[in-house]
Amino acid sequence: MMKLMKSALAGTTVLAGLSFSLAASAADLTIALSNPVNTFDPHMTASVGSDLSVLSHIYPSLILRGPDLALQGNLATEWTLVDDTTWHFTLREGATFANGEALDAEAVKWNLDRVRDPELQARVASWFSLVSEVNVISPTELEVKTSSPYPAFADQLSMFLLLPPQWTEENNPVTATMAGGPYQVRNIVPGESVILEPNPEYFGDPAEFDTVTFQVIPETGGRIAALLAGDVDLVTGIPVTEVDRINQSGNATAGAVDSTRNVMIKFNTTVPPLDNVTVRQALNYAIDKEGIAQALFNGLAQPAQCQVLSSNYFGFNPDLEPYPYDPERAIQLLAESGADLSQPIVFDVPAGVYLQGTEVAQVVASQLTDIGLNIQITELEFSVYMNKYLQSRELAPLSLLAQAWPTIDADGLLTLFAPGNNYAYWDDADFGAALDEGRSSTDPAVREAAYKTATEVMCEQAPAIFLYTQPATYAYSNDVTWTPRGDDWVRAFDMHPAE
Amino acid sequence: MGDFFASLVKSRSGLFGFVLLTLLVLVAIFAPLLGLASPIRGDLLARLSPPTWTGPFNPGPHPLGTDEVGRDVLSRIVHGSRLTLMIAATAVVLGGVVGTLLGIAAGFYGGIVDRVLMRLVDIQLALPLMLLALLVVAALGPSFNNLIIVLALTSWIRYARIIRGQVLSLREREFVQSAHAIGASTVRIMLRHILPNVLTPALVVATLELARIIIMDAALSFLGLGVQPPSPSWGRMLADGRVYISTAWWIVTFPGLTILLTVLSVNLLGDWLRDYFDPKLRTSR
Repeated sequence: MMKLMKSALAGTTVLAGLSFSLAASAADLTIALSNPVNTFDPHMTASVGSDLSVLSHIYPSLILRGPDLALQGNLATEWTLVDDTTWHFTLREGATFANGEALDAEAVKWNLDRVRDPELQARVASWFSLVSEVNVISPTELEVKTSSPYPAFADQLSMFLLLPPQWTEENNPVTATMAGGPYQVRNIVPGESVILEPNPEYFGDPAEFDTVTFQVIPETGGRIAALLAGDVDLVTGIPVTEVDRINQSGNATAGAVDSTRNVMIKFNTTVPPLDNVTVRQALNYAIDKEGIAQALFNGLAQPAQCQVLSSNYFGFNPDLEPYPYDPERAIQLLAESGADLSQPIVFDVPAGVYLQGTEVAQVVASQLTDIGLNIQITELEFSVYMNKYLQSRELAPLSLLAQAWPTIDADGLLTLFAPGNNYAYWDDADFGAALDEGRSSTDPAVREAAYKTATEVMCEQAPAIFLYTQPATYAYSNDVTWTPRGDDWVRAFDMHPAE
Repeated sequence: MGDFFASLVKSRSGLFGFVLLTLLVLVAIFAPLLGLASPIRGDLLARLSPPTWTGPFNPGPHPLGTDEVGRDVLSRIVHGSRLTLMIAATAVVLGGVVGTLLGIAAGFYGGIVDRVLMRLVDIQLALPLMLLALLVVAALGPSFNNLIIVLALTSWIRYARIIRGQVLSLREREFVQSAHAIGASTVRIMLRHILPNVLTPALVVATLELARIIIMDAALSFLGLGVQPPSPSWGRMLADGRVYISTAWWIVTFPGLTILLTVLSVNLLGDWLRDYFDPKLRTSR
């Protein structure tokens, strides 16, 4: 009988697309994902846009990043920095997982120990490499000591989800789940959808939706069509040209906000001709950043201010000015540089990863051709690109890259350019020294000054062409309300049924 | 030759295919002389302009509109025809030569050669073509030559299968037997007596393959494994323009139509060729 019910339900879902919309009843929510969920173990993934967003419904965290991008408590009601290297957390009383396991300081300690266990090789282990000691003071009080100041620790915790200790010992969290967050799993179709229902045991505000479905729709056109048909309530990552069309349809609201992801043309400064700083500066003069932001993104993208940080980051340097668009000056600088520019310069472009990435790459290549360079675009799969970037260490002289750091703090994003960092392909001692200074203190003023120096060095030395901040485009149906946000979180508990 | 054209003119669909294809090849050859806008350099400010057509002899600056970085769609289709047709033709020739030779060898020698070759064909038939293409391009890297190799690789089996069957019956025929009897070498028999007799079916397979390969190139470009930007190719244009299908239909529609017409004309020509060489249908000549 149960089986019969299920197939009848499935039938209704199929029909819903044709006749009426399931999403039309406000208590059901459907969110479109472009990528399937790869793992259900929250310590084995760092991709906020898919895995962590889905899992944040199932597992609680100490701290959440709210719709306003500010931190708010979840399991932790209060957190304070006792001294430079000691954090103190106060937890909610009486919180439990759905199976009755206590969600207390012991459980948090167990989770922090789990990710730091070298044997587990947790994907997120590096976030906690500075954590040296976790002490349980009482079931609702926890103390964490770090080996050196770690000002971004609280921000990082907003991406750290908590597993139930005992249950995890007996089950495989990669495939099974045990709720402790606002929702629990009803049904999973691998690669297709994850359906959630409220978790009655949740310690926080009760869930507002009867079901939450994460539906994987890889193709952009498909996501938009599903939204306009009323099958889906929230889609992200739509082309900017669709924004007006969706708004005009009257069924949904679309728009864009600044994301935390900053797009650049990454230089491999270890190979000629990009080991020459004059060439790197010339390339920055050659690109019309403003024009790209205006023409390709209808003005919805924010041109970069000669740094990889966008204005929403802590440590953003408002005093820097972008390199002006000046092809004449670029040609002149190239001539002065004395670099050998006769060889074609390979420009790697990961396919289908960044919003309108191929278009940007073609415009950039065409503007670089204008100053007399021989640019050869190679499109490759993102995994192939990442392999070249990090494993085989054969990054092309130029490549299209967008980087973000979820703590929205200069410390994380700039470290990707630090001397010796795997991601850097750039070695600048002054820059490294400035970063070290920023990390040595938890005083915001000291840190800000250090990152000001770091960004100035970076602008001057130009290890990349600083392009623009990628707009976070979105569209949501009239059945729900949602606060658009620039980081990648898509969460049902940030949404409400419309009146 | 006169007989050939007389028959072609009689067959309307064959003539249609022939004329269209000739036109296409001519356009491809003379593309740079047509005075079109650059297919590579775009005008960012004119991005996604709709087709302008203000009168029969007065096309606007972009008769078929512009694409997502402001390049003229018409110019890209015209210049893209060079790359697309060149890739398709090279792949067809390569696959055809390899497939025909292996097919003759398999049919003529029989035995272990036949079994090994035909099992190879079976294995490849069991592999999805797209997967094979993905594997090869992923291993060798995307480049113009590798693309042609991949396309040829997916194509030789069809020739081999059909030619082998033909050769199986041919090798028992009297003229082959007599060549044997007067002491002709195997290579001479294969090249002098068998090959001319299997050219017709090979030619017919080639026309069908040409159509398939153009579509396959489009599919590979979809996956970013085909022609690299900013070089224009029809498949590439489809792949890049699909995101805009609801707001700028012309970016995908016109290259799509061009592929449709090309494939149609090749197929019509192939159809007619088959009829032309079919002895049973030749009574009227």
